[in-house]
Amino acid sequence: MSGQMNRVKILVGGVQLRDGVSTVTEILGRIFTRAGLFAVAMERGYASTIYGAHQYDPMLVAEEPPLSYGDPVYDILVALDYDSNPDAPEQPNRDTVLRHGAHLRDGGILLYDSSTGEIPTESLQARGVRIFPVPARKIALTELKREIVKNIVMTGALFRLLGFDGDFAYLRQLIEERFGRKGREVVELNLRAAQRGGEAVERVLADRNYTLDVRLEPRPRRHRAVYISGNDCLGIGAIQGGVRFYAGYPITPASGILEFMERWLPRYGGRTLQGQNERESIRAAIGASLAGVRAMVGSSGPGISLKVEEFGVIGATETPVIIVDAQRAGPSTGMPTRPEQGDLNLVIGGTHGDIPRIVLAPSTVEECYTLMLEATELADKYQCPVFFLTDLNLSEGRKTVPEDLFARRPSIRRHGVLREQEARERPYRRYAVTPSGISPRVLPGTPGAVFKSSGVEHDEFGFVTIDPRKRAAQMDKRMRKLETYLREEAKPPYVFGEIRGNPVMVGWGHTRPVLQEAREILLRRGITVALVHFTYVYPLPKHLVEPLFADAGPVVVVEQNYSGQFADLLQRELLIRTRRVLKYNGLPLYPTEVADGVQRALQQEGAVVRIGSEVPVKVEVGWDEAEGN
Amino acid sequence: MKPKGIKLWEENAVPKHRIQWCPGCGDFGVLAALKQALVELEIMPHELVLVGGIGCSGNIRNYLNGNAFHGTHGGPLAYALGMKMANPDLKVICLAGDGDTFAIGVENFVHTCRRDPDMVLLVMNNGVYGLTKGQDSPTAGLGQTVEVWSEEHPPMVDPVLLALASEATFVAQSFSGDVKHTARMIVEAFQHPGFAFINDFSPCVTYNKFNTYEWFREHVEYVPEDHDPSDKDAAWRLVRDFARRGKLPLGVIYRNPRPRTEARRLPVWEEELRDVDVEPILATFR
Repeated sequence: MSGQMNRVKILVGGVQLRDGVSTVTEILGRIFTRAGLFAVAMERGYASTIYGAHQYDPMLVAEEPPLSYGDPVYDILVALDYDSNPDAPEQPNRDTVLRHGAHLRDGGILLYDSSTGEIPTESLQARGVRIFPVPARKIALTELKREIVKNIVMTGALFRLLGFDGDFAYLRQLIEERFGRKGREVVELNLRAAQRGGEAVERVLADRNYTLDVRLEPRPRRHRAVYISGNDCLGIGAIQGGVRFYAGYPITPASGILEFMERWLPRYGGRTLQGQNERESIRAAIGASLAGVRAMVGSSGPGISLKVEEFGVIGATETPVIIVDAQRAGPSTGMPTRPEQGDLNLVIGGTHGDIPRIVLAPSTVEECYTLMLEATELADKYQCPVFFLTDLNLSEGRKTVPEDLFARRPSIRRHGVLREQEARERPYRRYAVTPSGISPRVLPGTPGAVFKSSGVEHDEFGFVTIDPRKRAAQMDKRMRKLETYLREEAKPPYVFGEIRGNPVMVGWGHTRPVLQEAREILLRRGITVALVHFTYVYPLPKHLVEPLFADAGPVVVVEQNYSGQFADLLQRELLIRTRRVLKYNGLPLYPTEVADGVQRALQQEGAVVRIGSEVPVKVEVGWDEAEGN
Repeated sequence: MKPKGIKLWEENAVPKHRIQWCPGCGDFGVLAALKQALVELEIMPHELVLVGGIGCSGNIRNYLNGNAFHGTHGGPLAYALGMKMANPDLKVICLAGDGDTFAIGVENFVHTCRRDPDMVLLVMNNGVYGLTKGQDSPTAGLGQTVEVWSEEHPPMVDPVLLALASEATFVAQSFSGDVKHTARMIVEAFQHPGFAFINDFSPCVTYNKFNTYEWFREHVEYVPEDHDPSDKDAAWRLVRDFARRGKLPLGVIYRNPRPRTEARRLPVWEEELRDVDVEPILATFR
């Protein structure tokens, strides 16, 4: 890897809350985006504590949009941590180097805060790693008299290493926007800090005779772009899609949606409710939806589990609600800050009895927006729960997204909501049996019509019934909506490459970029594989999918859970045998390991390859693994 | 009462002879009172939403005209909260039992008192789970002398005290054997700008052989006219004084509206949702 490629993978690490890891990566992401580059920081390494755990944010920066965030191999390691007690035998605050040093590529760069002394780096130097000790905190404290600017010292140092923003024009602009209101002094202080960082790097370069081969150059900007997370994108999609009521309860990694909605919904005439519990949230959303508002809730696995009883209410009363499940590693409280795809069974099976439901799973940050627009329409049209499955990395990870994505302003259409005139035309029956299964709604307050809506089995008018024929008619009517959906709406999966006669990788949801990259690795290894990737997950559009797999080679499903929940669904629906590559250790999938896993799975019928579970486990005291929501 | 008015409330409803309550059920009194109150208030059926709980009492939603919703056990208040937030113009009344409200739904009761949405909750309180054949509810044991307690049989929840402690702004009590007074309470509850809670004693003639109509008639007593319901201390005192005398107060025990922020119906129609400009949002991500 060299500078000409204009592609750098950086990892910034430090102590959670104390060192401001995400402050640094947020500054970097925005500046690189403004400079016409593409930043991808999907992986978020943090713990469910407020203070003290090790935190790390990897970021890939390139001049062309990278396919995925790539393998955990870094060109530059930025360690913000310092030793709060240099005499302690163990130095947890050196975690960034201890934990990630091995992932630094040979000949890479280590930039670390040497305020409390230099650290042993012989093994890294042996691999040609260039070491840049910069006493950022000391500079901030003694020269600049403000500890808080230590991160700007490190940012300045990093920019010098990248040969980027030499005159700090980008940095100056960002700092002026952020701190301008606090006065010129604050701006100048920050710029001096960046300057000092750059100078500290200069000194190391001179002392150690290093040369630099990594270089990031601003690109003439072709498109205006934003640096944005999946949660924020789906929030924008929801607002454009007409959602005007959102209810949530604080839970990682869905809290970002709650914060977004609290900030923005009122400006578009909507309201956001922080429920007193998960159930109040979804019930209030059902009530708002009944009153006619497009309503949405968001949560993660533990919260979704608590909402399950309302899935049935939504299905039986036919009151549309969009349910975002930002998945994290389960079961139980699981690992609140780690990604997984373990909630599929919960959302396709949760509730007693049968209800119509639609499950969508965006595969990129961009799709968090575009697919949410679809979700708002589908919920309104089919009057059933529409699940929207992201995961921690997609929800909280950030990425450069060109703004023309948001330029397409969809026009919203209310589906089957009768206005006064139409409602008066005939005696109104809320649950009229129709060929499509969809019965027109009226909103409470519409003169000329009343409805009786109920989760108890009911007749067409909505009155309680246990009459066998009426029950069957209503059940058939409700479930028929899925046939209408499959016929009119369901989209086929993504297909990459030629399926006929070749092995097929299958994935769903947020893993698509990684699987695409894994496929390219396999192709380079001379293994021809196709990739079929699902975002319209349930009900599975069998009529579109079955022909695809008709003359496929072995099918290998790659997903992030223990059992292979999507593989089970595929087997059940298509009656085909699948092999599986599974990962559930709390780390995201990486392209090379997926390629290796698929290669191994291809060797044997019925193979289940478990990524990461063969690695010897180092037992350590769980000081950074505290429980919580 | 104009009979024409009452008749309006009998359309779009289960016919009288098909009502599935035991003969003599206290809920009949509530139904009669509810219709009287709605006529007096001149509410139209299309602007009303009756949110029913699970249990005998919740069935009332289908026994009179008006929009109705019915979901999970313990959920009515939260559904109603969403409805009112979405459309403050709706008239919303939750009709639930003591099990629904004070056992499985107590989380919603406490927080709805605090949130104070402009709606009514009428609890048909009979101390038992009737539909499931008479198990104790959290309000079981009203007026009974108990020597010892256990985990299985704890003291009862007093709905009025719980509401007062939860910062409810309107707390009233009624007895369904006194239809006229119950109707009065419902009218006053609808007129209260905020969350109005009525604890209605509605005897279960099949499973509660202790708290009978007769028993209630002996124990209820109207709130004295000189009671100042806007005084919270007076409300606490009133409840304590009645309890000391072994009596149950009927009437408005506490009423003290809180200043509230104005709210409007949320955008619903195409024309209200058109031309959404997300530029201000995007600007924060550049």
